[in-house]
Amino acid sequence: MKAFLFACCLIFSASVAKADLPKPQQPPQRTARESLHTGMEISTDPKAYEAKLQISESSLKELRAALDGAPGNGPIVGGIALSPPRTIIAGLLMFLAISIAGILLARSTSFGRTQKTVGALVLVAVLIGVAAIITRGNAGPPGSYRWRNLPQNLAEGKPTFGGVDIEIVPDSDSGAHIRLVMPLKKQ
Amino acid sequence: MVADDTERNPDFDLRHPRPDLFFAIVFVSILATAVFASWLPLQISIVTVFLFAGPHNWFELRYFLMRLPVRFGRSRNFFVTAFVGLGVLTIAYVSLPFIYNAHLWSDEAWSTIIAGWNTALLVWLGLLIWLRSKQKPRTNWTWTVPAGLALASLNWLGPDFFSLALVYIHPLIALWFLDRHLRRTRPEWLQTYRHCLLLLPFVLGGMIWQLSQTTALPDSNGLFWRITQHSGAEMLPQISSHLLVSVHLFLEMLHYGVWIVALPLIGGLAGARVWDVKTVPVARHPRGFPRVVGALLIAALAGVVVLWFGFSMNYSTTRDIYFTVAMAHVLAEAPFLLRML
Repeated sequence: MKAFLFACCLIFSASVAKADLPKPQQPPQRTARESLHTGMEISTDPKAYEAKLQISESSLKELRAALDGAPGNGPIVGGIALSPPRTIIAGLLMFLAISIAGILLARSTSFGRTQKTVGALVLVAVLIGVAAIITRGNAGPPGSYRWRNLPQNLAEGKPTFGGVDIEIVPDSDSGAHIRLVMPLKKQ
Repeated sequence: MVADDTERNPDFDLRHPRPDLFFAIVFVSILATAVFASWLPLQISIVTVFLFAGPHNWFELRYFLMRLPVRFGRSRNFFVTAFVGLGVLTIAYVSLPFIYNAHLWSDEAWSTIIAGWNTALLVWLGLLIWLRSKQKPRTNWTWTVPAGLALASLNWLGPDFFSLALVYIHPLIALWFLDRHLRRTRPEWLQTYRHCLLLLPFVLGGMIWQLSQTTALPDSNGLFWRITQHSGAEMLPQISSHLLVSVHLFLEMLHYGVWIVALPLIGGLAGARVWDVKTVPVARHPRGFPRVVGALLIAALAGVVVLWFGFSMNYSTTRDIYFTVAMAHVLAEAPFLLRML
């Protein structure tokens, strides 16, 4: 009986304790909105009196389109637009391609069991790879790789070229000025 | 193939270098092309297109005429499909700029139109492959069905990228022609040539390594802007336009080199006097068409002169027109390459 009461108390106290727990903190909402991924060059000009931010007309046009609510650019570039009709057609065609390739591989007499297995694995790997590239998985080295020599290039007066994400942030976050955040580690 | 009898010219053999010298020539040519394309891409692109775009089309036309049988025979369906597709696809492609400039379509609809044209191209290629495979029962080309469907799928996801891929892949087709041609006419050089081809990925890798960090090329004037756009600078903004233009120019220069220099010299066209219509089998044959062949070659020559004149007057506009109309020769390569496989 004592054991039963002890168990009841334990459960009840645990429930009370749990109820007392503060609400889990909501992850801070991302206020920045990625609008455009493009290329950027950082260069020095010993004759200039003021820092300049030059934006090409095409980039500005894309940025305007992004601000107007057009779909944002993907990791590769904006050309892979995910329009529903085109995506459906692409999906159907890819389904047919994979199905027919699988049937041909299975029916093929010129390949042994091991070769067929390897072929199927390669097919799946290619499929996953393509899907990863088309979705949000960036191919190639991380963007920071291109900026690794920035300090040295700045010191030597050489330009550095790399990718940049243009984000639109609230004034409270940016202090109402333009901020350039470089992916560099302390050296 | 009727054309084969003109390709082996014993007198001409004496003028050809040994395989090791052939390797040295190709090796130096590839490296020199890469250096020039990387050094001054815009300037060399302008000069290269001005000088060689038209002539390479003339040599290509002549090469195709050399490979055209006098009678289609059992290849009739293949050639009819080839020429009808070539005509329809070229007309559709040439009309695309007019459709675009009419501003009748949204961006999304425009992408669908491009994807549709690319799909029609793939269907046409699939038909040609199927017709060709019927003539070669020993070969198994069924794998091209899923490959074509996969390409069509990727095309619908990114039609602009598919079109850009054509711009970069097309110059490489000339290297395939050369490979097949060497196999028929100079088999002793084939292995050497393929060793040279192995060099290409390394040269391209070196170019990418060297140029990926370079500053973007100036595109302040209309001509430079056109050249960078043609290489995909707008679609790939995270890649230096210097790299894109250089790589494209490098491939284009190889393409021109193969059609204007390598194939005529190796195939015996030089020995067979390129200006002589009678050296074309379809014109020389008793039941051939010497007048039609002669007229075609003269018309093409006039086209080259007109092109040079146009480049001199208004380079930018002529370049635009040329690269639109030149789709015909890109398409024409497909059936003739298939005939060589």
